[in-house]
Amino acid sequence: MNGHRASWKNKMVCFAASMIVATAVGCSKPQESTEAALPPIKKIPAGAQFSGFLKDYEALKPNPDVEGEMLTYVSTDAKKNLRSYLAIVVDPIEVYVATDADEKRVNEDSRKALTNYFQHALTMAVSDAFPMVEKPGPLTLRLRVALVGVDIGGQVAAGTVSADSKPLENALNIGKLGVEVELVDSETGERIAAAVDRTNLGAGAEIGAVNFSREEKFAAAREAFDEWASRLRNFLDSAHELKGEDLTRADKSYKPY
Amino acid sequence: MRKLFVIMCALALGCGSGVAAQDKKDDKISTFHAYVDSDVCARLMLGPITESRMECSKKTYKQGSNLVIVRLNDNTVFTVNKTKLVKEHLGGVGKATGEAKTKSGEMKLDSFVPEQISEIPADAPAQRLLDVRTYKAKSTDGLFEKIRHELAMIPYITTFDFISFTMIGDDVVLTGWTVRDTNRSDAEYRVKSVAGVKNVTNNIEILPLGNQDMQIRASARAALQQQLGRYFWSNGSDIKIVVKNGNIILLGAVATKEDSDIATIKCNSVSMAFNVINLLRVEAPPAKNKG
Repeated sequence: MNGHRASWKNKMVCFAASMIVATAVGCSKPQESTEAALPPIKKIPAGAQFSGFLKDYEALKPNPDVEGEMLTYVSTDAKKNLRSYLAIVVDPIEVYVATDADEKRVNEDSRKALTNYFQHALTMAVSDAFPMVEKPGPLTLRLRVALVGVDIGGQVAAGTVSADSKPLENALNIGKLGVEVELVDSETGERIAAAVDRTNLGAGAEIGAVNFSREEKFAAAREAFDEWASRLRNFLDSAHELKGEDLTRADKSYKPY
Repeated sequence: MRKLFVIMCALALGCGSGVAAQDKKDDKISTFHAYVDSDVCARLMLGPITESRMECSKKTYKQGSNLVIVRLNDNTVFTVNKTKLVKEHLGGVGKATGEAKTKSGEMKLDSFVPEQISEIPADAPAQRLLDVRTYKAKSTDGLFEKIRHELAMIPYITTFDFISFTMIGDDVVLTGWTVRDTNRSDAEYRVKSVAGVKNVTNNIEILPLGNQDMQIRASARAALQQQLGRYFWSNGSDIKIVVKNGNIILLGAVATKEDSDIATIKCNSVSMAFNVINLLRVEAPPAKNKG
């Protein structure tokens, strides 16, 4: 009985010691930054038809189901197509400036202005169909997005934006902007769908403040981003539409309880 | 500085009381006649509350399905915080009192007083769920087929969603589970648009996308595809795999009892899955016309 009590005591001492060590190790470990490093601002190569953001552009074809100038690709693999996935994890949005623009003049505030609003617009447009999750995993797609063709405008004059908005150093011109997206399997990286949308929606639109959505004068830019996001949703909807034999089989198969 | 502090406190109090007022508005204490059910039977609405429904409630609860209560007036399903209060009354009816949130389908239960079905007045709306005569016969009504077809055409339905419905008179009760908000709202919109439908109660539950459930979904589908691949096609499947909190519910139809048993065995082999509730229907394929 005493031996059993001694062994129990030893176990308790060991447990307490291991807890102290674990706590000490946990506390001494330097805090890792929770924010992933943002990709650098890139430039469209001179004379190139596309930005180079997508792994390849050969499979992209004009999509008759989506209005405007959109090239798309959807995997037709029976086991790995858009309908095999349930959720999306969104990568930080990348920015490509126009070939003749100076990418050094796009600072962090400019990047925030472009990507924060578009990220919000994408979430609003897509998340009820593809819920957004934090981490990659099974049945989860990774959404890679790039805003392509940003041009640098003139300096934003003092007093141009309201007092509670932060003005950008240089205005951003989105007159020639396009969007490139790719949906890949979040675990294997295999491409499931892609789209290049060159529909000109931002003609004459500029962004001059970090939180430009608050400023009425930048409403055109806001509308353009909302429309690009909505077009991505249209593309996903068209890819999910049941057609031909699938339609017949789905109808035949469905019997309520 | 002191002024700023006073302003902040005033703002905080103001906001707090505003939120509290909203909560009070949503969370009115109410009392209603309710049936104590298992989540599986309540979501599938396997007909009115008859002996077989009660059996279903008890059987699926034993298999691991959660307890819920069904408001008899309109068939709304509520998950309750205090399952202890209703556990003993599974398969029976009673008066439930508490804060019921219809939109989220949750109820903070204060009390549950069991009662006999005969105690509910014959002219009370709650009787509709208890009376088999109020249910529509599937084969004789074109409305049922129109609704069925509309629901079959929802584009974002996958192997992991199952939406069902029941008709009580011209009212439709939508039930089932989905992983996507859009399916829940789309189903309601489509059914409301069918001419002849009066009211729609939407009991479709949105399933959480936790990592463990996602892993189970992927593994269960892969396991079933291995041996029962003929029930899966590129854009859908005859077998539906509903995963909720580690439990797998198999729905849909297969051709033989053997296939149904294989499905159970395969899903039982999925790591991290707690229970498998097999509700697959066995339906022999229609005989081929030899002429």
